[in-house]
Amino acid sequence: MPTPILQVRDLRTQFAADGGVVKAVDGVSFELYPGESLGIVGESGSGKSMTALSILRLVPDPGRIVSGQVLFRDQDLLQLTGEEIREIRGRDIAMIFQDPQSSLNPVLRTGFQVDEAMLAHGRPKRDARSRTLELLKKVRIPAAESRYKDFPHQLSGGMRQRAMIAMGLANAPAILIADEPTTALDVTVQAQILELLGDLNRELGTAIVMITHNMGVVAGLCSRVLVMYAGEIVEQGPVEQIFENPQHPYTWSLLRSIPRVDALRHERLRSIEGIAPDLLQPPSGCRFHPRCPFRIEKCFHDEPRLQDVAMGQQAACWVMMKRAREEMGADKLIDIRPGAASGVHPGEIA
Amino acid sequence: MAATAAAVVVRPVTPVQASLWSDAWRRLRRNRLALAGAIYLAFLIVVALVALVHTPYPMAGVAVATPYSGPSAAHWFGADNLGRDVFSRVMVGAQISLTVGIGTQLIILAVGVPIGLAAGYFKGWFDSIVSFFVNVFYGVPDLLVALLLVVLLGHPGLDKIIIAISVTRWMDMTRLVRGQTLALREREFVEAARASGAKPFKILFGHILPNALGPVIVQATFGVPAAILFEAFLSFLGLGVPAPQPSWGSMAADGLSAIRIAPHMVIAPSIALSLTLMAFNFLGDGLRDALDPRSRR
Ligand SMILES: Nc1ncnc2c1ncn2[C@@H]1O[C@H](COP(=O)(O)OP(=O)(O)O)[C@@H](O)[C@H]1O
Ligand SMILES: [Mg+2]
Repeated sequence: MPTPILQVRDLRTQFAADGGVVKAVDGVSFELYPGESLGIVGESGSGKSMTALSILRLVPDPGRIVSGQVLFRDQDLLQLTGEEIREIRGRDIAMIFQDPQSSLNPVLRTGFQVDEAMLAHGRPKRDARSRTLELLKKVRIPAAESRYKDFPHQLSGGMRQRAMIAMGLANAPAILIADEPTTALDVTVQAQILELLGDLNRELGTAIVMITHNMGVVAGLCSRVLVMYAGEIVEQGPVEQIFENPQHPYTWSLLRSIPRVDALRHERLRSIEGIAPDLLQPPSGCRFHPRCPFRIEKCFHDEPRLQDVAMGQQAACWVMMKRAREEMGADKLIDIRPGAASGVHPGEIA
Repeated sequence: MAATAAAVVVRPVTPVQASLWSDAWRRLRRNRLALAGAIYLAFLIVVALVALVHTPYPMAGVAVATPYSGPSAAHWFGADNLGRDVFSRVMVGAQISLTVGIGTQLIILAVGVPIGLAAGYFKGWFDSIVSFFVNVFYGVPDLLVALLLVVLLGHPGLDKIIIAISVTRWMDMTRLVRGQTLALREREFVEAARASGAKPFKILFGHILPNALGPVIVQATFGVPAAILFEAFLSFLGLGVPAPQPSWGSMAADGLSAIRIAPHMVIAPSIALSLTLMAFNFLGDGLRDALDPRSRR
């Protein structure tokens, strides 16, 4: 096993709110290996962005990282001074955001913004422009010379996201964190961006952390995946294995809700039954139990911990899909879900 | 190669705009009043520059004409109580007004922009202190502060006037920039800049300020006539530039006692002042419309 380039240990990030604290990230631990492509998947509000922002210490006010470690090349990023972590950002760990429209400065020329990303880390001004052009070509922006001079509003959404990726890669970082980079884009453009990220991951050896609410994106790009629910990791493991054999009922429902490209728009937005948990007062026991079709008595009071369920795969569930199927009969279990008649049976996921 | 490139390029159907600024310039040119204001001000600047090297008569030259004599071919704006050429004095007055107007705005920009940026971006105790002083200065009558300063700073002079006016008028710009920064700091591109490791200085001046430039320019443009009027008022009260320096305000004051026999002594500087104030205000209005992204057509 190679040594991880990033190790997150028991990370906790909280927001002070009226009447308590919102535990946005609640004891998250994982490793990222060099050159790997790791997916973090979960519904909106499950703490994916806050996990990523905590790594770079960019959590917005009033959020606070209250405990944990983020070890990058054996130094704890949470212990660095403001100046030291600033040096890490964009040079060693870069991040790109959901909406390329708003992540680019509207009044600055696109190429100039890529230049700036390099200049922030002391590269000589002299070769910034030529390197930027090289990067724009690498992210497959056609006619890079003229796009260099364009303002962001003159580019299409896909081109803007490519420019953002170029900015992210400007200093050849070891890790690129992409927070829902395709959510704001058209389906066809999404596919192109994912393909680009996959190619860059292979060509440059940049480790990619892909944050998404869409299991389909994970399938196309990642080798390993973390599933987050209510600020916690509920399942993790190799992508193929998880797709074939999801052990946490939440993972299973995420797989059921993969948007289909050929479906109508409103159908693609189909989500999981039940309402997302209130992180101010998370449910007792297993946080997923109010929405879980397979819950048993124990799920109401005892919180399950991550445990090995297969090679490299861990899940935090008292029931586990396998046992649920074997012991209770999946068909009976599925019946208790509202509108489940059209659902996929656990065993049918491939 | 060329064919594939052409096939991949997906461009928005909006007409290509060279830049946000050329867009604003196009809109400004369409605004007649703003354009007239800009032309008048360009003319005034030329007059002020010419006055540096040449005036028809020395501005302090006593008895170059009959005292109180009205406009004539030799003395377009007539003569004042000491027989000085009013036209020459109005020319030099333009110099003084523009120097005060632009000088105060430069100082206010130099002070208000960095303070406003820092207060809005870092918030916390620094912002509290800034907001406190802004409110204190708003609370104190500006005439009182200016009077105190003019007295405290010793001999009156143009530089002291500029400082006194700046001290009483820095709050608007500071508050504007602070407010803009508070809004802009939450924008995603600022977060993206932070994530790319940009230094705070770079974020403030390289990312936030360029996005606030429109309102800042408009504010500064409106600040110029306000400062010019304040100077004229101080000079009118005898607290402005020392004699024989001709401020439009002090010229009007000199003429007031003779308004019945020599109304041109009041009228000439008053018209110059009014036109200048109007020109700046029209230009400011035009800039506000031109630079407001919501008015984009
Ligand atoms: N500014 C904020 N104030 C209070 N709570 C917040 C704030 N931002 C995020 N949160 C909380 O953090 C949780 C996780 O947010 P986030 O990481 O952005 O979710 P995701 O990226 O998975 O959609 C949210 O459910 C919300 O309760
Ligand atoms: Mg998010």
